Amino acid sequence: MKRKLVSALLVSTMAMTAFVGCGSAAEETAEPEATSETDASASESETSSEDAIANLIASTEGTVNIDLWCSETEEYQTVMKSLCDDFEAQYPDVDFNITLGAVSEADMKDRVLEDVEAAADVFVFPDDQLEALVKAGALNEVAAQYTYDMNDTDTAATVEAGQYDGKQYGYPFTASNGYFLYYDASQLSEEDVASWEALTAKAEELGKEVGCEIANGWYLYGWFQGAGCELTENEDQSNNCDWNSETGLAAAESLQSLASSKAFKSYGNDDLLANLNDGKVVAYVSGTWNVNAFSEAYGDGYAATKLPTFQVNGEDKQMASYSGYKFVGVNAYAENTGWSMLLAEYLTQATSQEAVYEATGEGPSNEEALAKASSPALDALAAQSEFAELQRVGGNYWDPAAALGKNILDGTVSQQVLDDAVAGITQAVAEAE
Amino acid sequence: MKKTIKSIGRHIFLAALAFVWLIPIFWLIVTTFSTQKGINTNHFFPEHWTLANYHQLFFETDAAANFPAWFKNSMIIGVCCCIISSMFVIMTAYAFSCIRFKGRKQLMSFSLILGMFPGVLSMIAMYFVLKLMGLTDSIVGLIIVYSGASGLGYLILKGFFDTIPTSLHEAAKLEGASEATIFAKIVVPLSKPMIVYTVINSFLNPWMDFMMARLMIKSKDAADWTMAIGLFNLLQRALVNQYFAIFCCGGLMVAVPISILFIVMQKFYVEGVTGGAVKG
Amino acid sequence: MKNMVCKIGNAFKELGHAFVHGDIWVKLSAIIMGAGYFGRKQFVRGVLMTVLEVGVIASIAKVFAPYMAKLNTLGTVQREEIFDILTMKKTVNDYDNSLLILLYGIIGILIVVAFIALYIGNMRAVYRLQKMQENGEHINSFKDDIASFKNENFHITLLTLPSLGVILINVIPIIFMICIAFTNYDENHQPPTYLFTWVGIKNFIALFTNSQTITFGYAFVRVLAWTLIWAVVATATTFLGGILLAQFINHEHTHFKGMWRTLFVITIGIPQFVTLLLISKMFGDYGIVNTWCANVGILDFFKNIGLLSQGAQCIPFLSQPGWAHVTIILVNIWVGVPYQMLVATGILMNIPTDQIESAKIDGANKFQTFWKITMPYVLFITGPSLIQSVIQNINNFNVIYLLTSTYQTTNMAMAGSNAKEVDLLVTWLFTLTNDYSNFKMASVIGIVTFVICAALSLLTFSRMIGGDKEEVYR
Repeated sequence: MKRKLVSALLVSTMAMTAFVGCGSAAEETAEPEATSETDASASESETSSEDAIANLIASTEGTVNIDLWCSETEEYQTVMKSLCDDFEAQYPDVDFNITLGAVSEADMKDRVLEDVEAAADVFVFPDDQLEALVKAGALNEVAAQYTYDMNDTDTAATVEAGQYDGKQYGYPFTASNGYFLYYDASQLSEEDVASWEALTAKAEELGKEVGCEIANGWYLYGWFQGAGCELTENEDQSNNCDWNSETGLAAAESLQSLASSKAFKSYGNDDLLANLNDGKVVAYVSGTWNVNAFSEAYGDGYAATKLPTFQVNGEDKQMASYSGYKFVGVNAYAENTGWSMLLAEYLTQATSQEAVYEATGEGPSNEEALAKASSPALDALAAQSEFAELQRVGGNYWDPAAALGKNILDGTVSQQVLDDAVAGITQAVAEAE
Repeated sequence: MKKTIKSIGRHIFLAALAFVWLIPIFWLIVTTFSTQKGINTNHFFPEHWTLANYHQLFFETDAAANFPAWFKNSMIIGVCCCIISSMFVIMTAYAFSCIRFKGRKQLMSFSLILGMFPGVLSMIAMYFVLKLMGLTDSIVGLIIVYSGASGLGYLILKGFFDTIPTSLHEAAKLEGASEATIFAKIVVPLSKPMIVYTVINSFLNPWMDFMMARLMIKSKDAADWTMAIGLFNLLQRALVNQYFAIFCCGGLMVAVPISILFIVMQKFYVEGVTGGAVKG
Repeated sequence: MKNMVCKIGNAFKELGHAFVHGDIWVKLSAIIMGAGYFGRKQFVRGVLMTVLEVGVIASIAKVFAPYMAKLNTLGTVQREEIFDILTMKKTVNDYDNSLLILLYGIIGILIVVAFIALYIGNMRAVYRLQKMQENGEHINSFKDDIASFKNENFHITLLTLPSLGVILINVIPIIFMICIAFTNYDENHQPPTYLFTWVGIKNFIALFTNSQTITFGYAFVRVLAWTLIWAVVATATTFLGGILLAQFINHEHTHFKGMWRTLFVITIGIPQFVTLLLISKMFGDYGIVNTWCANVGILDFFKNIGLLSQGAQCIPFLSQPGWAHVTIILVNIWVGVPYQMLVATGILMNIPTDQIESAKIDGANKFQTFWKITMPYVLFITGPSLIQSVIQNINNFNVIYLLTSTYQTTNMAMAGSNAKEVDLLVTWLFTLTNDYSNFKMASVIGIVTFVICAALSLLTFSRMIGGDKEEVYR
């Protein structure tokens, strides 16, 4: 592979923040050193990042060991392996030993936090784990970039999702972790999938099933947000929520009446797949992780679109959603921080993201790569993206929200239930000391 | 005549019970032959039958499934733990049952209390203790974790030792046997059925556990995992639709050593009967 | 307690006595622990003792002392890192790790305590040796010492290794987790990057105060109640079921005993996470059992007798409180009976046949013999272990965790503290630590549970091993 010459300069703003680690306590003691370093770098601010890499290569002795954890699926493992090989080939003077590990993305945070020091140097994680990882001090700040600048290459929403407290922690990797509607175009028309009312009516007529996993805060959010309610996170990780407002009640009631239809189901992933394979489910809200299952089940009729509208107080409201991203993170306790950062950059650059897209079907966050990628699922995500919000919600949201979803399914919605749910969602976070 | 009817009824009842007990196992077995790789909660029997899953399980290892390696690792851990924990349990039970020494009752109460602390809580601490000894990520570490505290499970066996007549003990002592000889030559042989139970139990624990193993084994290379971690991992959202049938095959294969162990051990149960007759 | 203090006081008194009245060898033993044995020509023992002394002191000084010194604060230096963007190297300060300080500190203290005990014991032993020598008694050679471990000290031989294992795997982690309950180790204070420190009994107060938003107290009472009910019912049902099944299979008129046993034992052979997962799928809202119930008409039957509301689409085997509780107990019978059958078989084989024979001669029928002879016998042997299995059920993680992984609570107060109606204390603890990194509250709940269990079972246990009951069947 041709060695890539890099012209990107160090991001000047980064130089200011780069010297201070995480945590405010660090600032005081790091001050004297930091100022002197800043002077040094200021005078050399014209230096290209090539020099930095050259410095790194020169100072590297012996084998560089890097552990990389990513999803355990065969496609992921294969494509990441070949990307790592390419990375090694880029720096022929350095002896690498990159080990690939298979860890389920949903569990990444748990596995890393069990023992940060023993965890991988570089790992792939979904955006909803960012907060927990940063809070535990497990992520290395992206203090500078050497081979590309994500602000220029990646969609702004993705870059922002990789930030916490104004600092960048994740290298944007994929931007397709949100949800949208899969449907079988051989049985449903475009009008049918435009609104939930039409969809459930048609499904009842066909004797088939449609649905969305309401008993799960991640999906439930889309309904209330779409209806015009609010859910935001405060600085102390508690939540603001007005789902018990009049609009909220109206939304919950109309959702309840939709859910009371025999055709409407709230399947968890396993039940969904089983019924999908049986040909019962003709439309369902899901994401790219199920793309193979849906395309196999629907065959020629396989189609995907943005989420349908639903009626609140007689008005059609577009259902909203969470957008989801995946990031590559560098462990704050990585053995070789420099090389780990370079590897993370390599894995997230345009060509790598294209390779990942081809292998796994997951949509790139890099705009150049995104332009080349096209599939029904990604188009549906793009159509939904206008109504999708970044997932920023405190940990107290999930259990009460799931409980609320369950109440809606059971048909027991009342003002009281919503009040209780909101009280649970907005409860204070355990005293901060 | 009445006896035959009664006997038939007895066997029919047992067969019905066994049937209920075996339904999930039966479902597991038929699912292993399914051509559908994903999970199927709607049908009992698969629509199409195949043996390909077994072939994949044994011969086509990949990043997610490496059954032969898992089997080997689990087998090593299982056998070592089985030997160590059985010895620990027998030793502790004997000491508490047949020897009277100072502080015995206090020790017994203390050991009972220890068992009450919720294990999930101390897992993290256990991990760091082993890390201190440099034993995480190794089979030796797992063996220590599984068999170390096994001495606490002595109560059933102690109850059994308590029924062995003291006269046997005293007679042996008169003939000049040491405590060690009495233990090895008299008490242990008399207790075969319960020891068989202890052995099976000691083997099962490490064979089945996934919580502790997942914490201890940091390696993310499937070849380093144990059976339980590996199989449990196949249930992840990203994998279950591709590997559920394989998971079932694995689950079934796991039962093979246990069943063999049990069938082999059966004859000791029969001996147990005569053992009981001796002391009459 | 007072007894303990007395004993410790006595030990020190004897230590002083030995030191004052001992000869040169005994006095030398105060520094070199093996000296007293060298003086009595017990060279091997002397060398062993000295090596042990050197080893312990060295390990404390080199490994544990730095950690023990910081135990009072659990560390003060937080991790700081400086990344140099030009050399791409990161420098990190010499930071404290609260978790390691606490853990190593505890281990260090345990070693020190054990060493002091050994030291005192050693002084007494060498003084005794001096006395024996003065009186001209026989002093054991090393060979005699070894032999004693096969005879009068056989219990030491038997118990040393198991005890070491228990200390390593149980005692140290338990002390550690108890300490955590008095710290602020939670999501915002996670080592190694952040420090945690002592906060006294604040967490315990939080458990018992019930404010509108903090519902730990509310959830705790409910979870505890279900845990206790579950433990008792689960133990009783599997125990009885196991004995009955074993009795049935062992009956003289039953043929193919081995085959029947094997059939049931196969269910043990397959890991619980495999079988329980399948079962939870079968009993799921959209599972096979529900489909079957709807087809056969059981669903309608339940609706008609008022067990289910008319609008119900399925039987909520594992998705509604009440229903889920019953299903869990039933499934646990499925899981537990084969185990108990194994235990009971082993015990029933050794039941004194003469008693049964004589009962038969006296004209007792089967039920009478079962209740009057078999049950007391089995209860006697398994009695203490029954308590243990109640405790195991209190801590039975697998069954609940695997069966209720998809259970969603509808009770907001439960949801507010991350609990579910079907949670046992352990599964709740697991959620708190694993998903919310709330180690301090988890430890507090763990300790409270522990105290309750300990009190309950010590009461029953001391009655069971008290008196001469242990000798009844000898």
